[in-house]
Amino acid sequence: MLTLTLILLPIIAGLLTLSTKGENAKVIALVAALVELALGAYTFFAFVPDATSQFGVSYNWIASAGIKFSVGIDGISLILVSLTTLVVPFIILSTFQNNYEKASIFYSLILFMQAGLVGVFTAKDAFLFYFFFEATLIPIYFIAAIWGGENRIKVTFKFFVYTIFGSLFMLLALVYLYIKTPTHSSEITALYETARLLDASQQGFIFWAFFIAFAIKMPLFPFHTWQPDTYVEAPTAGTMLLSGIMLKMGTYGLIRLLLPIAPLGVKAWGTVAVVLAIVGIVYGSIIAIQQKDMKRLIAYSSFAHVGLMAAGIFSSNLDGIQGSLIQMLAHGINVVGLFFIVEIIQQRTKSRELSSLGGITQTTPQLTVFFIIIMLGSVALPLTNGFVGEFLLLKGVFEYNAWMGAVAGLTIILGAVYMLRLVQKSMFGTTTSLTEGFEDLGLTERATLLPIAVLVIVLGIAPNIILKASEPAVSQLLSIINK
Amino acid sequence: MNYQPSDYLPIIVQIGAALAFIVLTMVATHWLGPKRHSKAKDDVFECGIESVGNARTPISVKYFLVAILFVLFDVEIIFMYPWAVNFKTLGWDGFLEMIVFMSLLLAGFIYVLKKGVLDWEK
Amino acid sequence: MNAIIALSLFGITNLFLGFLNNRKILLPATLLFVLIAFGLNLADWNHEYYWFHNMLKTNNLSINFTSIILVATALVVAISRGFGNDEEHTHPAEYYGILLFSVVGAIMMVTFQSLFMLFVGIEILSVAMYVLTGSDKRNLRSNEAALKYFLMGSFATGIMLFGIALVYGATGSFDINGIGNMVNQAKLQDIMLNPYGPILYGGIILIFVGLLFKISAAPFHFWTPDVYDGAPSIFTAFMSTVVKTAGVAATYRLLSISFPAVYGLWGNPLVYITCLTLFIGNITAVYQQSFKRMLAYSSISHAGYLLITVLAKTPTTNSSILFYSLAYSIATISAFAVLMVVSEAQSKSGKPDESFTALNGLATNNPFLAFVLTVSMLSLAGIPLTAGFFGKFFIFADAFSNVSSLFKTIAVVAILMSTVGIYYYFKPIIAAYLKKGDLEKIELSPIYKLTLIITTALTILLGIAPDLVKNIF
Repeated sequence: MLTLTLILLPIIAGLLTLSTKGENAKVIALVAALVELALGAYTFFAFVPDATSQFGVSYNWIASAGIKFSVGIDGISLILVSLTTLVVPFIILSTFQNNYEKASIFYSLILFMQAGLVGVFTAKDAFLFYFFFEATLIPIYFIAAIWGGENRIKVTFKFFVYTIFGSLFMLLALVYLYIKTPTHSSEITALYETARLLDASQQGFIFWAFFIAFAIKMPLFPFHTWQPDTYVEAPTAGTMLLSGIMLKMGTYGLIRLLLPIAPLGVKAWGTVAVVLAIVGIVYGSIIAIQQKDMKRLIAYSSFAHVGLMAAGIFSSNLDGIQGSLIQMLAHGINVVGLFFIVEIIQQRTKSRELSSLGGITQTTPQLTVFFIIIMLGSVALPLTNGFVGEFLLLKGVFEYNAWMGAVAGLTIILGAVYMLRLVQKSMFGTTTSLTEGFEDLGLTERATLLPIAVLVIVLGIAPNIILKASEPAVSQLLSIINK
Repeated sequence: MNYQPSDYLPIIVQIGAALAFIVLTMVATHWLGPKRHSKAKDDVFECGIESVGNARTPISVKYFLVAILFVLFDVEIIFMYPWAVNFKTLGWDGFLEMIVFMSLLLAGFIYVLKKGVLDWEK
Repeated sequence: MNAIIALSLFGITNLFLGFLNNRKILLPATLLFVLIAFGLNLADWNHEYYWFHNMLKTNNLSINFTSIILVATALVVAISRGFGNDEEHTHPAEYYGILLFSVVGAIMMVTFQSLFMLFVGIEILSVAMYVLTGSDKRNLRSNEAALKYFLMGSFATGIMLFGIALVYGATGSFDINGIGNMVNQAKLQDIMLNPYGPILYGGIILIFVGLLFKISAAPFHFWTPDVYDGAPSIFTAFMSTVVKTAGVAATYRLLSISFPAVYGLWGNPLVYITCLTLFIGNITAVYQQSFKRMLAYSSISHAGYLLITVLAKTPTTNSSILFYSLAYSIATISAFAVLMVVSEAQSKSGKPDESFTALNGLATNNPFLAFVLTVSMLSLAGIPLTAGFFGKFFIFADAFSNVSSLFKTIAVVAILMSTVGIYYYFKPIIAAYLKKGDLEKIELSPIYKLTLIITTALTILLGIAPDLVKNIF
């Protein structure tokens, strides 16, 4: 029942927001998101760390096709549901400085998006998963296409067609599996069973169908061309949703569907996937180093990070998957913080160009501290949240193949280069005409950044809160994969 | 169903003969006939009267309407012949069906009249 | 089969209602007629009857198809707005009458038991459509469309008639079950055993050509864009829903009852035709500047999706075709309804503007119309939680139910083409929501608005709970 509440609450709040006018919208949205956060926190602490799915409900939805409305939270879902409930309040809070046109629609779309995301992460029926997967696309499309930058229509359309193209392949694979199930059931666990009946070539087909869908969503090299443009053109709240949470739909899909359903496919083609992921890490990092636009730089850094997560997942061992889970959480938090800082700088200076910025530190001790903490988290310094994930991921990839692990390890060095460059170019150095008289943080800005910075450190010191919750579920998943 | 495709051979022969006759006569007339051109010979044939005006003058659409209505009702009447021939065998059922048919036809006729298609001057 | 008789009489009644000099009565009267026919049609539910000396046969499948046809007709009639107030140039009584006659033809096409009735049904439907296509007499494109449709259509029916003759020659029967039995018994597959095989083959292929022409499957689709574009929008809506449904139903009925034994003969060409239809319909639609023409090409592509399940011939094919036809019909009618009012409001020098740009900024002053348009486009594109999604879903499920691995390829083609479809179905949505335009608020009559609410609600409802109708089908 709790899961259902987590899905329905944002929808109801979204409808409520839609019916209000003017300033009230953001307040209602924030309150709803905070209530959702409280529920999410309750879920996290009430969760019994074992492999079972908890707080679930199941209704017959489309009886003739055997499709059920079945949701529940297991260890893997828990991490991502926590991420979603945690990050959305920050996203809403980060928009408090802006006065968007048609604000009520804007905030209701964010809340609908949240409902869809929670749905994706908790769905236990494959088609339900697919519906939520697609349903999240509509709000983010409109958020980006209505409130985005100059080039928004073209860019967001590319994004939309690209992702739909991918998810149609997923649909193809799901229908294929569903027909092969003996009882025409589409529960994900039933699909796990069915996968045992398929031979290597059939699993290869399914592998590629899923891979294309999720690789486009994350995105992995070479399916990433929509990503930098969309991140740059979308309003910052949209970019946060995209990179903070939506990207994790892809990695979650890999863990939940691809690995256990097509283990033979992974055996045959997994190396290709890992290689693509690692190419993405290096490629993304190198491009990030050369970026002049702050938002674009973070977009490419996110592309590089997700490559490492995918590599860890495809190495399909405990460390790799555990690492990717905690890294999803950490990356979601960090990237929202980074984009928010970019938004603050852009609002004050009207520029995101690194070359025209500099010397902001002189007037802004608070912003500097927060920026550096979040940056260090992103660079994966020990005792920050990024470190645990990256360490486990690299360990996982290393176990899979030492050479690949070594190349993937470049991410630490390259990541440090572009992140330090970002901070150094924008914050330090001499002040320019644009950054003169830069005001330090206001109240809502502090209220957003402080918890993020605290989370960066807390999760870095005590990652076991997360790791313990997900470990039984991951172990069970691995036993299914290796059966 | 005792026929074999080879039994249809005479039909093919017939078709072949028909086609050959047409082609042959056309080619033959071209070869044999003398060709003498003069103004009178090349003129449009108009029953011996001198032709007047353009052949492509527009004609009132009413002519077509009347013509097509004639054809329509004329053709429908043809259905009465087989019914009349088999009047006794078809019996009352046939009679009733014919009444339905005729009333539909009558409805159409009334419609045509009411529409004023047959009013020449309007 | 009382629906056929009733509709014929109602059609005549409509013609005479025209003499009342009261145009307002025609629309409600026609709507009532269609609803009565709907009721009569349902009266035969759960029975199998032969009618008119085994000429027609009704069963639940044919009743379902008839119901879809009648629902689509009722919706089209409801958005016809009485064909305007132009006393001199429009003849609403005749239009409604002819519309009902053509529905009679459509019903015959889905209930035929004898190939005679298939032919007669197609002719009744087609002749009526030729007239209606050209009903906008002062519009050159409408005239051209009618002539084109007439020439091509009569040619196609001629070819089909020849096919029927050949099939009769080979099997000695016009009855579809009789033909099926003959094909089974006489071992026509084997030319060595039965020299009539080639005659049958030729016949099947020619009938096939005629039917594929009617549902505008490639490569017999050339007439479609011009005719759909040239005909008045209201009749285009009718053609792309009722005529298409009837055509697919007739094709399916014939192939599944008479010729399952020679699947190899028509199955292989149909694979290519299906892929070609999907390909041509979708790719060409991308390049259209006119919304109406885009819908014409989209209707070609939907014929392709429907053919997939005809090909797969699984036990669920019946319900998949029915569901898809229903979902497609209501979404298409909504799209045309929006197109009609918007293009009229945007008309330039008397000509309605049917391009995508006419929709620019629709959402600003007409949020309702924009929403209706969006839902119908999403449904046609097959986005989840609309009826169109489940239509596609059932079709893919059918394709995979067939053991032949060929269907994997077809499904991949269909998926790729669906992506292309999303590209062009989003053009109107983008125009309506994201582009700027100066369209005033459009006033809608109550019945028009009600129809749009019904189609939109039905599209969403069937997208959330497809079982509502799927259990009936």
